[in-house]
Amino acid sequence: MEQPVQTETWKAQSLEELVRILHQIFAEDKVSVDEVQALMESYESNPEEWLQYAKKEQTHTLYFRYTRNLVDNGNGKFNLMILCWGEGHGSSIHDHTDSHCFMKILQGNLKETLFEWPEKKGNGEMTKKSERVLRENQCAYINDSIGLHRVENISHTEPAVSLHLYSPPFNTCNTFDQRTGHKHKVTMTFYSQFGERTVC
Amino acid sequence: LPAGLAQWFPALEVLDVSGTGLTEMGTELLSLPCLHTLLAKNNRLGGPGSLPKGLEQAPLARSLRVLNLSGNRFSEVPPALLQLRGLRSLSLGGNRLHGIPPDIQELHSLEFLYLGGNFITAIPPELAKLPSLRYLVLCDNKIQSIPPQLAQLHSLRSLSLHNNLLTYLPREILNLVHLDELSLRGNPLVVRFVRDLTYNPPSLQELAGRTIKTRNVPYAPSDLPESLVRYLSLASNCPNPKCGGVYFDSCVRQIKFVDFCGKYRLPLMHYLCSPECSSPFSSASQSSTSQSESDSEDEASVAAHRMQKVLLG
Repeated sequence: MEQPVQTETWKAQSLEELVRILHQIFAEDKVSVDEVQALMESYESNPEEWLQYAKKEQTHTLYFRYTRNLVDNGNGKFNLMILCWGEGHGSSIHDHTDSHCFMKILQGNLKETLFEWPEKKGNGEMTKKSERVLRENQCAYINDSIGLHRVENISHTEPAVSLHLYSPPFNTCNTFDQRTGHKHKVTMTFYSQFGERTVC
Repeated sequence: LPAGLAQWFPALEVLDVSGTGLTEMGTELLSLPCLHTLLAKNNRLGGPGSLPKGLEQAPLARSLRVLNLSGNRFSEVPPALLQLRGLRSLSLGGNRLHGIPPDIQELHSLEFLYLGGNFITAIPPELAKLPSLRYLVLCDNKIQSIPPQLAQLHSLRSLSLHNNLLTYLPREILNLVHLDELSLRGNPLVVRFVRDLTYNPPSLQELAGRTIKTRNVPYAPSDLPESLVRYLSLASNCPNPKCGGVYFDSCVRQIKFVDFCGKYRLPLMHYLCSPECSSPFSSASQSSTSQSESDSEDEASVAAHRMQKVLLG
């Protein structure tokens, strides 16, 4: 993905169509961030289309723990996945391993807090840049040059579901301790793939 | 709730009245024989009459498994709620609770307890008497300390403590062997070892008591006033196995840092009989001038490695 190309105004009428158009866009040599973001935003979330991917851990009938569920692997060019956030669940502060990351809210709200990269020998509290609450159907974009972020479902009454696109796909990233800036590499796994529970 | 609910729907198992502006749930609930899930989140419940009287005798007390009262106005856990003996899942997230009643232990089938987003300042040790508790959410409260008894929650898999007022954790937290999720971010956890400067030297009574216990000086109830016999029975053993000493009221609180899966240091509180004593896990005793953070303790880091996933900061 480099400089903007001739961008089209897409309207994805369904999740299936969204995936189809993404394949089309990513088949090209050059892909526009703005185009992908607009496409993701254009899809109006319809739970019937994605509930099969929004797997919650079979712990309790109504409580989501945090799960990552792969929807499509974009012929190797991108990963499209659905993340389920239980009430009060949040991520660590993390980077995106030199990839582009799009995050669209399918249900509920998610708070995104942006952080500066810590100094080389990070030994102090990390610096918050900004924060915002993303509403249903909004799509945010981040990459490592923009900074790091933490994503949280701050609601104590509603679970949240988000749709993520990462290009190129990655399965490791760094998490950061807010108090010290120390980083730690982690490997991410999928709770389910293509609607089927994956057993680790 | 609409009158005649139980007559129209006698087989009702799941009732969702969330977001309906309810201020109370009346006796209609008592006649539902099969109800196992009641969702009443985002209402105006919290005043008297939120739950109907006579709950203890109703079928609901045995049938209800899931109760969600999040997003209401409860300033205390309604005592009637503790009659729901079959309850497995309870959510009171986003209310106005200032505390947790010790009688919460009555809900002995409870597996999931969500209390995030309240004004809770302390956790009663009785919470640890819930033998099946697997998910405990206490985030976004005003909790200042965790009782060490919480380590008795042997089934606990997930503990959410983020955004509270914790400065340290009890060492016993490492005993939660099935814990695979622990959130601690947004707590003012101490990062430096601060020696407890308010250590008061033991009183003469304490020194005498210690000597009697450690030297096994024999005594009979007829030898001493009853108050001293009672005092002697309250001796605590110093955790240092090399010490074998006891203490009564005078102990040193010491924070030691445990390296958590190579990720960061967690401050854990230890109690010792004297400043010269050292905790069971360190190889050399801490000198009084040693103010630097301690290194990983072998046995403690083994326990820490058992925790597969820790979310912090």
